[in-house]
Amino acid sequence: MADFVQAPEQDVVISSRVRLARNYQDLPFSPKLTREAAEEVISRAHEAMKNSPEGGAFSLLRVNDLGDDERRRLVEHHLISYDLLKYPQRSAALISSGETVSVMLNEEDHLRIQGLLPGMQLERSAELAFNADDALGAQNVYAFDPQWGYLTSCPTNVGTGMRASAMLHLPAITQNGQIGAIMQAVAKLGLTVRGLYGEGSEAQGDLYQLSNQVTLGRSEEDVIRSLQAATEQIVGHERAMRERAEKKDMYALQDKLLRSWGEAVNARLMSAKEFMRRYSDIRYAASMGYLHAPLRALDCLMMDLQPGSLAVQAGKLIGEREGEILRAKLLREQLLKLVAD
Amino acid sequence: MMCDECGIRPAQFHLTTISGEEKTERNLCPVCMAKYQKQIPGLDFTNLAGLISGFLESAAAARNGEEQADENAGITCPNCGTTYAMFQKSGMLGCAQCYQAFRKPLEGLLMRVHGNTQHAGRIPGGVKSDVSIRMNIDRLRQDLVKAIAAEEYEEAARLRDQIRALKQQLEPSDKAEDAQSGAGEGEQDNG
Repeated sequence: MADFVQAPEQDVVISSRVRLARNYQDLPFSPKLTREAAEEVISRAHEAMKNSPEGGAFSLLRVNDLGDDERRRLVEHHLISYDLLKYPQRSAALISSGETVSVMLNEEDHLRIQGLLPGMQLERSAELAFNADDALGAQNVYAFDPQWGYLTSCPTNVGTGMRASAMLHLPAITQNGQIGAIMQAVAKLGLTVRGLYGEGSEAQGDLYQLSNQVTLGRSEEDVIRSLQAATEQIVGHERAMRERAEKKDMYALQDKLLRSWGEAVNARLMSAKEFMRRYSDIRYAASMGYLHAPLRALDCLMMDLQPGSLAVQAGKLIGEREGEILRAKLLREQLLKLVAD
Repeated sequence: MMCDECGIRPAQFHLTTISGEEKTERNLCPVCMAKYQKQIPGLDFTNLAGLISGFLESAAAARNGEEQADENAGITCPNCGTTYAMFQKSGMLGCAQCYQAFRKPLEGLLMRVHGNTQHAGRIPGGVKSDVSIRMNIDRLRQDLVKAIAAEEYEEAARLRDQIRALKQQLEPSDKAEDAQSGAGEGEQDNG
């Protein structure tokens, strides 16, 4: 199994993300933001980033200049949020060349600074975010209160302004119906688990996001430590459940998971929803060593075959059926290429 | 994830409707969500802020009764003109000064949301602030009291020196203020 693991704990942890909310002291917050103030936010952040040592790696993208497909690709790759797209006239993003650091400008707060890395790398992601934070705050005064910390437009983020999260693939825990128990357990630590796409009962692709809820009264290090500890426990439990499923009936497990491989490499129409089911099974199979495909490559493929990213690859707006045909084709080609390599 | 209704726009809402024993769940885009909102009375939130403000309103009403909620509702931020009533509706503040203007009602709210009202994290480089130094001093003072109670005088002397060193890092004005309040106990510690 170790052969396929490229980032720490990647059999269960897809990526680690740390996001910081910051606002400039002298400019109105999001609800009162004027066009001029929004421009000021963009130019301050852009200037500050240009003057920082790593500034050359960042490019400024104005939402208004992006096509629908590119906007969706950025959302699907977790570089920007849907909320950023609400006001295309005023919003922008600074994105690093490796897409590990992104700064949303004029979303709910003036700045939303994000560090994003594959696998279990919470501390390193935090470091990326804090470096960008230092660069952006060097020449400007952030809204800050000695008692309440960083001031944000919504008081639920006040304090550190930090949301740290781990994106987890939990097929075996889901199969055992234990997600509810995990949600209750982590709530006691001030953490929360939700399906990666929305907060509905069904988490597509068995993907979940574990993140902190509390931002005031605990230090960043403290929050990241408890998130790290909780993630490690969940990773341990997921692995135990996978092993148990294998021990119980290996042929049944292999049959179930590898049939999805068969479907995926033979399908000629693949909806986004079915794709997420197949992806989960194939990823599970790869993590057990039932087939040889790098997990990181599967995760990139997962994001690339979401509707927006798919349209970017197609180079044009495509209808639902065209999308299903293209997804099936790309999936088949990519999967066969992965195992051939 | 695409909208279950139109299949073209990405879903941003998860709508669960329960009618009798029948429960239906749909993932909807804002456009299709808006259609449902018209059909279902009382379903009129447009974003997460709506949910938060619902929480704020119900919490305020439950805790304080109508009168106090109204009393706060009239407070206005002198800088941006946001009223507490507007904040209760949107869940969003208009500027940094709003936090000063609404300090009292926000205190209770932050306690309910975070279980705490004292920041314990990073401090921006651009703002001259000494929260962490003050917090360290507070912690050391507590340790000092414990050390004296346990008659560990060497440890107490070490802590006293640490506190002095930290106090010197504070602004001159703060130092004078702290020296006044701290001088008495400092002398006694020495004794």
